[in-house]
Amino acid sequence: MQKSVISIGPFHPLQEEPEHFLLTVEGETVVDVDVEIGYNHRGIEKLSERRNFDQATFVIERICGICSTSHPVAYTRAVEDIIPVVVPERAQYIRTIIAEGERIHSHLLWYGLAGHFLGYNTVYMWMWRLREEILDVMEILSGNRNNYAMFKPGGVRRDINADDIPVALKKIDSIIPTIDRLKKAILDDPVLHARLKGIGILSKEEAINYCALGPTSRASGVDRDVRKNAPYEAYDKVDWDMIVTDSGDVWGKAVVRLLEIYESIKIMKTCLQQIPSGEIDLKLKSIPPGEGIGAHEAPRGETFHYVRSDGTNRPVRHKVRAPSFMNLPTCKATVPGSTISDAAIILASIDPCYCCTERMAVRSPEGDRIYTGKDLIRMSREKTAKIKREMGIP
Amino acid sequence: MKLPKVRELLEAIKSLSHKPYTSKFPFKPYQPYLSFRGQPKYDPDKCLGCLACEEICPAEAIAHQDNIKGDVPKRIMIHYTDSCIFCGCCEDACIADHEGIKLSNDWELSFFNRAEAFETIEKELQLCEICGSAIACKDHLKWIAEKIGELSFSNPTLYQSRLKSLGVVDESILAASRDYGRADRIKILCARCRRETSLTTAASPAGEKVGE
Repeated sequence: MQKSVISIGPFHPLQEEPEHFLLTVEGETVVDVDVEIGYNHRGIEKLSERRNFDQATFVIERICGICSTSHPVAYTRAVEDIIPVVVPERAQYIRTIIAEGERIHSHLLWYGLAGHFLGYNTVYMWMWRLREEILDVMEILSGNRNNYAMFKPGGVRRDINADDIPVALKKIDSIIPTIDRLKKAILDDPVLHARLKGIGILSKEEAINYCALGPTSRASGVDRDVRKNAPYEAYDKVDWDMIVTDSGDVWGKAVVRLLEIYESIKIMKTCLQQIPSGEIDLKLKSIPPGEGIGAHEAPRGETFHYVRSDGTNRPVRHKVRAPSFMNLPTCKATVPGSTISDAAIILASIDPCYCCTERMAVRSPEGDRIYTGKDLIRMSREKTAKIKREMGIP
Repeated sequence: MKLPKVRELLEAIKSLSHKPYTSKFPFKPYQPYLSFRGQPKYDPDKCLGCLACEEICPAEAIAHQDNIKGDVPKRIMIHYTDSCIFCGCCEDACIADHEGIKLSNDWELSFFNRAEAFETIEKELQLCEICGSAIACKDHLKWIAEKIGELSFSNPTLYQSRLKSLGVVDESILAASRDYGRADRIKILCARCRRETSLTTAASPAGEKVGE
């Protein structure tokens, strides 16, 4: 049969972010897939090298709107690894609470989008409504719905007020019945079973070979989780389970994410209840020369930061390895063999995050030019006028 | 197969009596939680104009302008609302007991014109009595003098600033001895002029003028 190539993207109404998929199809069946990324390169690694260690945290936080905890936690742990120091216990608990809140809202967001892709807009509405409640909890605890600005090398920037904890706990408790109901609705739905089971299977060997991370690997039976494998912050002080299924299909990934929401709620509640009192910040004065690494289990998998210091107040090299960068190539193993209509949900099942994966693009070197719509129209008209002048047309 | 349908039906019946989840936003203003991080606001009385917030701001959203021309020399502190990331670093770094600039609960920050997205306060500047360049804000010098107590008497700029604010100094005495030499050392001076007056008294005969 004749092969043809379907190009999706880089800008496509289906996608939230710019990425380019090339699906080679034979009839309805996808035989090969290729991914092109690099449309969202923002220069954040270079930007963070221009800021000092404290200020870089805020640039790192803006790598991605969803992972606005994961990257700063990994970065601060990398900086603390240079010295090396261990942050105070209360700071560890606060970091864990914020990180788990982020995981809950990220998984809920993925559920909403998955429902939207499948034509289940009710799931989309309900999940995003629940996400609002979690974002409210984050607003109570940190002061903002996203971009929490809670982290700094050596501790956390803001303390959680004792008065806010009961309010937050009550709010978390209030969403559990709704999640229960949605869990039953999703797990019992025969259409979802038919739609998601057995498609996009990533076998255990392939998951290991592709170095898949996070829920993508755990759905394939690879028990890979930084929080359990190399416990940090408060993850070894609270009781929780790693969710692993071995089906490897989209359904498995969905189940892993759904059950992880419960584990995250459990961790968050336990941490809020048994948070110790004490210092929250080591007040680091300087970072000695050296290099350090930091890893954190982001909602999508392990995010990894490498920071090198030469003893001045800013990093000389900062490298970010986001989980989607490792998960994205697994589509080579999962997508071929499926139909075009399944390709969208298989590609979405790894919860790809392109702004995490690509990090560069600086504003113009002067840094003070912002083009608005009016400017673009003006420039366009000026070019027309210039061409007219050159052609001698009045 | 039946169970999900029954549950859907129950949900539909329950939803009949529910209020909509969405809020009536434009008609009913949204009240954020107390710990919300909104727009930072300067307190013109408590701010010292020390520029610690400008130094620490990771988004470079704080700037200043020194207007030394005009009757009263002013330092204008500018906070750009559009580039602010509401991290609260300015409040943490504020030397005036974290009260000179404070995060407010203000979140409605939309503008039609980006060039108008800033807020300013004015602080009075202290100028060098010889060269007329800006030293620091008057409140800042007073704050340092009060902070270091009697040690401030080792630095004429500091104790003069403090005494002037108390109305103790007789200005005419200082004005009479305008010779850019030893007598100038007890004036309010910028670092450069202080160095030059010191060098003059050490190396050259008293009374020789130093270039302005």
